[in-house]
Amino acid sequence: MIRSPIRYRTRVILGVVGVLVVALAYTWLSYRQHQINPTDQTIPTWQQLAAGVGKVLEVDEFSGDRWLVTDVKATFYRLFVGMASGVFLSVVLGLLMGCYSAMEALFHPTLSFLAKIPPTAMMAVFFVLVGINFEMYVCMIAFGVMPSLAQTVYLSARNDVPDELIHKSYTLGASQAEVIWNVIYKQTLPKVLDAARLQMGPAMVFLIAAEWMVGAEGFGYRIKIQQRLLDMRVVYVYLIVLGGAGFLLDTALIRLRRRLCPWYAE
Amino acid sequence: MKRILLALFAAVTLTGCDSAASNQPSFTLAWSEYPSWSVFGVADQKKLIDGAKGKLGPIEEKWQVDIVLRQADYDPCLSMFASNVIDAVCMTNMDALNPALGRRSVAILPTSTSVGADACVTVGIDSVAQLRGTPVYGLEKSVSEYCFVRNLELLGEKESDHKFTNMDPAAAATALQTNSAETKAIVVWNPFVMQTLKAKKDAKVLFDSSTIPEEIIDMVVIGRDALDKPGGDRFAHAVIDAFYQLNAMMAAPATGDDTLKAIGAKFSDLSLEEMREVVKQTRFYSTPDAAIRLFEGDKLKETMTNVVAFCVDHGIVDKAPTIDYGMGKSDLTFSGEYIRAVQAKQ
Repeated sequence: MIRSPIRYRTRVILGVVGVLVVALAYTWLSYRQHQINPTDQTIPTWQQLAAGVGKVLEVDEFSGDRWLVTDVKATFYRLFVGMASGVFLSVVLGLLMGCYSAMEALFHPTLSFLAKIPPTAMMAVFFVLVGINFEMYVCMIAFGVMPSLAQTVYLSARNDVPDELIHKSYTLGASQAEVIWNVIYKQTLPKVLDAARLQMGPAMVFLIAAEWMVGAEGFGYRIKIQQRLLDMRVVYVYLIVLGGAGFLLDTALIRLRRRLCPWYAE
Repeated sequence: MKRILLALFAAVTLTGCDSAASNQPSFTLAWSEYPSWSVFGVADQKKLIDGAKGKLGPIEEKWQVDIVLRQADYDPCLSMFASNVIDAVCMTNMDALNPALGRRSVAILPTSTSVGADACVTVGIDSVAQLRGTPVYGLEKSVSEYCFVRNLELLGEKESDHKFTNMDPAAAATALQTNSAETKAIVVWNPFVMQTLKAKKDAKVLFDSSTIPEEIIDMVVIGRDALDKPGGDRFAHAVIDAFYQLNAMMAAPATGDDTLKAIGAKFSDLSLEEMREVVKQTRFYSTPDAAIRLFEGDKLKETMTNVVAFCVDHGIVDKAPTIDYGMGKSDLTFSGEYIRAVQAKQ
């Protein structure tokens, strides 16, 4: 029946079945490709993938570092700082817009305009503003996720907080700042966390694209170079790590929201 | 629903008929935008060949084979070739090593060589000694890095004193033009070299590939499996024939400018004059004799030995592919045989 619940065990089993189907489909694809060309490198077999795992974990003879360690550090540090700046900016802007009509009038048109522009397409602007190093990745992510995040905060601040609640707070003697911080911000928090979680995907796309173009380390860089050298063993291992990291981040943010806002109904 | 199914059925039968229009075996050649490779796109425009599946131009009629042209970016071209999706591809001698390890390959035609088309462009740096310690941006593990390292060698510099740092060539050119405080030196290829020099007046070429002519070679490579299929050798012949017929059009005074314009049309926003400069720096092997001289000469053997050593030293290949010059059974073969066959039939 539509929307009827299932048991936890069934849920776990179905999840595992989903993963197995994907793994089987890949095995078949790789088998078929190796029938066409036994020395194929483009759809590696599981054995080749295992060699790829070895390659990304061993100490590289040229740089003296482990690829995966270098790249995880670089990419996730950029992602973290970028997302944190983006969320901070969005919350400030969104609350201002949700609370004051003048702010809304000032920022809303610009944000709607910027929301449709991929930041990777204006890389030259970032080059001029913040250079070609760490700051560029951070800005690219922050400005990439900000327009839609700020709008989410703004809508939530305007619609999710009933007027009575605000009047009640005033009656109890709260200042404007206290109303914003203790009432409006708290009420929008679960929406912000959910929106940030959903923006993780676009943020990753912007970051990988930027690393693809200018990176000398990081996931985008490694995937681009190794793809060019046709070492798909490494590329697929990196893709699996990316998928896994996405899954973990997602789960972590859902947990965080439940912890911080237990009152929020999903 | 019924109508949709009918339409689908009609579409399927029609496409079926279309490919049956020519009974000749069809082979796919993938090319990316580069002067000596755009030749194939222009050959299609000028109706020497018909790049569509199932349709034959005069050259395809002559060799009784159907050439299917596929244009894509350079990197996807390499992946498509390696995964057996296409039969032949345009790539450089250095980039041919990795695909050859997975799919035995035959280089059938050199199209051009870089004589200045890859260059180290700098702002405010006038000597290679000043370059020490400055990050030089360019595409890692590509001909750019090769050109950089070879020039350092020739200048007696130590590679370890220099910092070659990865950046996409288009991004590197933009970075140098917009933020030369941080990006002082780049190694890129054309059209980025010429565009950068044009856009930034204080940029200069510190060194370029004119010191290493015939070491960076653009060429057409076919999978051995495709050559072994019926009609595979005719496909090789037709591709070579088309290349030289278009070169003849470029050389003829009546059609020369027009053809060059067509070649440059999608390459960049450079003018006809500037395109003349570009094809000087990307020197075409415009005659069969020039091509055979390269493929059967001793210099190529020396070059490839160096290139393979470079690729092994820089982690570009896991192991060295075997290479031979003739009709051997190695991973990668350079063969002038197909060019000779076309020459004989003229």
